[in-house]
Amino acid sequence: MAENGDAGIGKKRHIKINNTVILFIILAAMFALSSYFGRPFFFSKLNLIPMINNLSFIGIIAAVLTMLMVAGEIDFSIGGNIGLTACLTAVLLESGLPGWLVVIVALLAGAAMGAFNGMLVTVVGVNSIIATIGTMFIWRGIGYTLTNGESRLAMNPVVDYIGRGFVFKIIPFPIVLFIIIFIITYTMMNHSKWGRKIYAVGSNPLASFLSGINVKKVKFIGFLLCGITASLSGLILTSLTAVGMPQHGQGLELVIISSIILGGTALGGGKGTILGTLAGVFILSVLYNFLTIMNVYYFYIQIVQGSVLILVVAAYEIRQSMAIKRV
Amino acid sequence: MEKGVKKYSQIMNFLRTPTPTLIGIYIAMMLLFSLASENFLVVQNIKGIFNSFAVYGIIAAGITIVMIGGGFDLSVGSTAGLAGIVSAVLIMDGIEIPTPYVFLIALAIGSLVGLINGLIITKVGINPIITTLGTLAIIRGVCYFWADLNPRIANVFVQNLGRIYLKNVFPITTVYIIVAFIILSLILKFTRFGRDLFTIGGNENLARLAGIPVDRVKIISYVISGFFSAIAGLLLISQLGSGRPEYGTGAELEVLTIVVLGGVVVGGGKGNFLGVFIALVIIQTISNGMVLIDVPVFLRMVVKGALLVLVIAIDAIRSRRHLLLY
Repeated sequence: MAENGDAGIGKKRHIKINNTVILFIILAAMFALSSYFGRPFFFSKLNLIPMINNLSFIGIIAAVLTMLMVAGEIDFSIGGNIGLTACLTAVLLESGLPGWLVVIVALLAGAAMGAFNGMLVTVVGVNSIIATIGTMFIWRGIGYTLTNGESRLAMNPVVDYIGRGFVFKIIPFPIVLFIIIFIITYTMMNHSKWGRKIYAVGSNPLASFLSGINVKKVKFIGFLLCGITASLSGLILTSLTAVGMPQHGQGLELVIISSIILGGTALGGGKGTILGTLAGVFILSVLYNFLTIMNVYYFYIQIVQGSVLILVVAAYEIRQSMAIKRV
Repeated sequence: MEKGVKKYSQIMNFLRTPTPTLIGIYIAMMLLFSLASENFLVVQNIKGIFNSFAVYGIIAAGITIVMIGGGFDLSVGSTAGLAGIVSAVLIMDGIEIPTPYVFLIALAIGSLVGLINGLIITKVGINPIITTLGTLAIIRGVCYFWADLNPRIANVFVQNLGRIYLKNVFPITTVYIIVAFIILSLILKFTRFGRDLFTIGGNENLARLAGIPVDRVKIISYVISGFFSAIAGLLLISQLGSGRPEYGTGAELEVLTIVVLGGVVVGGGKGNFLGVFIALVIIQTISNGMVLIDVPVFLRMVVKGALLVLVIAIDAIRSRRHLLLY
């Protein structure tokens, strides 16, 4: 399995039928099934635009989080980040700050959160899983404190455009953002020195360190970027719903991390592609959109989300052990 | 002469464990809160604190076992919720299955969840955190099957389970916790299972090479965790008086804080119940203290998260991980 960026033993004859292709086949099948069972509503503007928006705001975080996960760390605090950003935006808008300033402050807040996570993991040395689970609660708690638990209205021309604006009158702004970020992360991972460093750090931190790569810097910047992008997605969500709720983004970690792992990124790092994450995001977005159209009760969808996570990782582990047996 | 030296080194070794620090922190906090609020040192309040140990303490018992073996169980809150709501439904007016059977069913549910967790983690080989994160979501969703029923606990025995005070002073729930901790401590110290658990936590590959049935021991630890989560679920519905699908949400956070503060290392291999007990007391006292000094509700959530981060940061520094170069 010679995947893009994989430092493993290459069996050249499998290079065409690699995992990303399989994922896109699954995606096509899902799309077909959903459009059949969900007809005629599925293809209507009323459904497609929210689905595209949802896909974009999940995909933006997923793309950047992939970079962090390939480096071997993880960030569970993205949901809390979104909640905090949403509440912060609403509160700042209420106090009269101009829209563009609020956006900048929100992104800076995201950077601060990302930096805090990064420091916890690189400087203090805490395990990233537990550190980010802890910070998730802190961020969300701060969000609750900011709005005193209520949902606050967040309407403003600039902020509204982020989620509900249309470029060239037909393309929703979120997907434009997603395409831009996707192109940037794809180029970074596959065609830049930084991307090579990320893969190196993920595969073998010790060897990378001995080769002169500043492992801590790579990880720290990964967390920082995650924080900023999570805030960006928080702004999109706030704009789409026009309110800042502290509950925004609750449970999102499950979906995002599932889609990244579905896309072929290993939990320990070192393997994974942005393209794969894209496929994973598409598949899960279509799946959850379909379930929502079919009016499935939210908590049952949660059952699906949990099962998908386990199945996805299980499939990955089984493939791993089969590959080892083959060698 | 030799006996004196041995005693001295034993005492020094004990002082190096986290336990004395915890006792110190506790005394400091008691002083702080009694100064800050005149309602703190009242008998009624202290009794209330001790009764609030109930759910978290029992869950902590189970989760400590799992973590000593190197594992992790984030699904404890959901499992408690599931056992709780199923029990509440079964003793409801229309159904009224006899109480002993309901208890057995609840414990079976918890153990079953633990078994599933254990099997997925050992046989399929998925990371415990990811697995239990998935199970957490799945089981929480399952709890909502009964969301439209609204069972109230009319059964007196169940009501008393979590609420009686022995001799009107000592909450019975604290007795449960102490008994559970003592039994588990004995198991850890004197049985093969306990020693194996510590070995697996210390170095899993080494344990495997030494012939320890690693998979079996780990599965049993997850079953124990599920078992205790179910007990906690019963205590939850008893103390809250009804069965709701959202009970137990967020329990993982508090229990994790308690357990890590109590000296249980996240990678496994270290941990003792005395430390966990003192940590339980400390965290619950802080929760109670925050209410008494009128800390706004949502700020308490921030404090709880900050406590967890602080506690794990201290754990990381204690294990010298901050000195790693990469």
